[in-house]
Amino acid sequence: MNKNFSWFNLTSITFGFAFLYIPILLLVIFSFNESKLVTVWAGWSTKWYSALLENQALKDAAWVTIRVGLMSATVSTVLGTLAAITLVRMGRFPGRTLFSGMIFAPLVMPEVIIGLSLLLLFVAMGLDRGFWTITLAHITFTMCYAAVVVQARLQDFDKSVEEAAMDLGATPINTFFQVTLPIIAPSVISAWLLSFTLSLDDLVISSFATGPGATTLPMKIYSQVRLGVTPEINAISTILIGIVTIGLLLAAFVTKRQTERAERERRKAFGAAG
Amino acid sequence: MAVATAGNPQANHASSQRAGPRTAAPQSGFAPWKNPSLAPIVRFEGITKQFDDFVAVNDVTLDIYEKEFFALLGPSGCGKSTLLRMLAGFERPTQGKTIVAGQDITDLPPYQRPVNMMFQSYALFPHMTVEGNIGFGLRQEGMLPKNKIAERVDEAMGMLELRQFAKRKPNQLSGGQQQRVALARAIAKKPRIVLLDEPLGALDKKPRQQAQFELMRIQETTGTTFIIVTHDQEEAMTVASRIAVMEKGVLVQVATPGDIYENPKTRYIAGFIGDVNIFAGTVAAIGDGCIEINAKDGYQFKTRSSEPVTIGQQVWLALRPEKIRIAHEQPASAVNAIPGKVEDIGYLGSISHYHVRTAPGERITALRANAAHTVERPISWEDSVWLDWPIDAGVVLTG
Repeated sequence: MNKNFSWFNLTSITFGFAFLYIPILLLVIFSFNESKLVTVWAGWSTKWYSALLENQALKDAAWVTIRVGLMSATVSTVLGTLAAITLVRMGRFPGRTLFSGMIFAPLVMPEVIIGLSLLLLFVAMGLDRGFWTITLAHITFTMCYAAVVVQARLQDFDKSVEEAAMDLGATPINTFFQVTLPIIAPSVISAWLLSFTLSLDDLVISSFATGPGATTLPMKIYSQVRLGVTPEINAISTILIGIVTIGLLLAAFVTKRQTERAERERRKAFGAAG
Repeated sequence: MAVATAGNPQANHASSQRAGPRTAAPQSGFAPWKNPSLAPIVRFEGITKQFDDFVAVNDVTLDIYEKEFFALLGPSGCGKSTLLRMLAGFERPTQGKTIVAGQDITDLPPYQRPVNMMFQSYALFPHMTVEGNIGFGLRQEGMLPKNKIAERVDEAMGMLELRQFAKRKPNQLSGGQQQRVALARAIAKKPRIVLLDEPLGALDKKPRQQAQFELMRIQETTGTTFIIVTHDQEEAMTVASRIAVMEKGVLVQVATPGDIYENPKTRYIAGFIGDVNIFAGTVAAIGDGCIEINAKDGYQFKTRSSEPVTIGQQVWLALRPEKIRIAHEQPASAVNAIPGKVEDIGYLGSISHYHVRTAPGERITALRANAAHTVERPISWEDSVWLDWPIDAGVVLTG
């Protein structure tokens, strides 16, 4: 630990983390509450977790959420990667600035507006709102995040590696699949994970795009909370937090091990070379 | 000063005269550019490349012949890399044609050209092993059976002593090893032409010299045409059969290393290749194969010249430092001799540089090989000395 870790730093970090995590901690603790009343502590219990398994509506909502997440994350990663490649590799073309601005605009656009405009579009097109419209809506707003993540990786990628592949006889398509994609794969995976997570906890856009029969977990939780918070909701929220935390730790662990291994190999190679 | 980078211009010059023909091909007298019945393997026809309003390459016409080791030499930004990249197909010329082996390839994409390139950054595929990198081009063709590919990869690895690293990834290799993998990858497909874009720029002086000889060995054994882009004049002199010197997008001179050193066309080339003393003056008299020059600072020099000049014309006399003799006594029968005072001495072991200030204030560099073990009266600082050179030592330049 840094020796210059003063009292000031310690205090600020304590308050910062407390501010961030006390509400979540409270929710986790109350999910193990025996009492049906959320604010009254009546001893430890896991009965709300078993009650979850009985709740068909919540299970359906979870299933819808996961399917929407998988599908929209996959499609938006593909589209986002293509957009990023165009932006980084095509060099200057007329309207490039406009194009990149239009891809990244949804990052700062209020969700309500995206949701509303999508709803208008779906109505105008006469689409039956439900599972597919939610998926489409999620692709729309997660795609720009995917593009940003992949673009960052492409920008510090030596262009001559692709030129070398073409020079050795690889067509542009072969170059992409044999060289570019394997090299940017980690960023494509994180783009997918980010899109999946964003889709998983979206409430506003889903609410606009949904129709009868397609309710995602955040929508379900939100509607139940309006009727009063039950310990069941605390339980499902705790599970969600758990999943997200495990995912984040896993990603961090993989990245760290990768850098460590690369570093070790490099040192070994230079040691051997003298 | 160029002297510092050239190391030993005298030795350099001596070897370069032989280097041209000898390294390009084992048989002596290798000079296909002198044979009018031979068709060049690469022909640039009036190539111009413009980036917005910057002209990177300006109307270059150049022939390169089979089995040549051809060097494009010039400072950074002179257009040499752009010319090479146009041959590889990464840039399209604004004007002009590129012809390889009789075929117009100006509009062919890089993956259909019979050339392979070794990149300055090596551009190795980080996710593939050494074997995978070298075999990449062979796998693209889709014609060679698997065991044939392995054979060719092994051959290339053997040629560059890479067999022990076959299973390693590029980031597990040292810089020199990576450089060899990049070269092996460029020759694995046995292309007719190998392009080298500053291939040794990332290496230190000693390994770079070794790598230069390795390049020459590979070029000789494979009998391939090599075209190298470099800003290092010593490197170009060492490896190349012919050198094209570029300046601001224009070809200034194309000749053998010996020719470029001994008969530079312009002051720019004389200064870029090796070290040189330049005296400005005007033509005073024209004799039988000789001219007399009235130098700006009052001296009069006599020198052999085949350059067509007229009396009164502004010319420059270029003198290589190793062609100037330096002595304490006034030479008895010298054509050109001027006195001066030693200002600086650079002792490099095998040779010494003497910087001599003349009475009008000109600074002249002379060079002397330290041949004797001990010298009776060594030249030292502040000594009054005489500089002299024979009638055929200098080159008359008009531009």
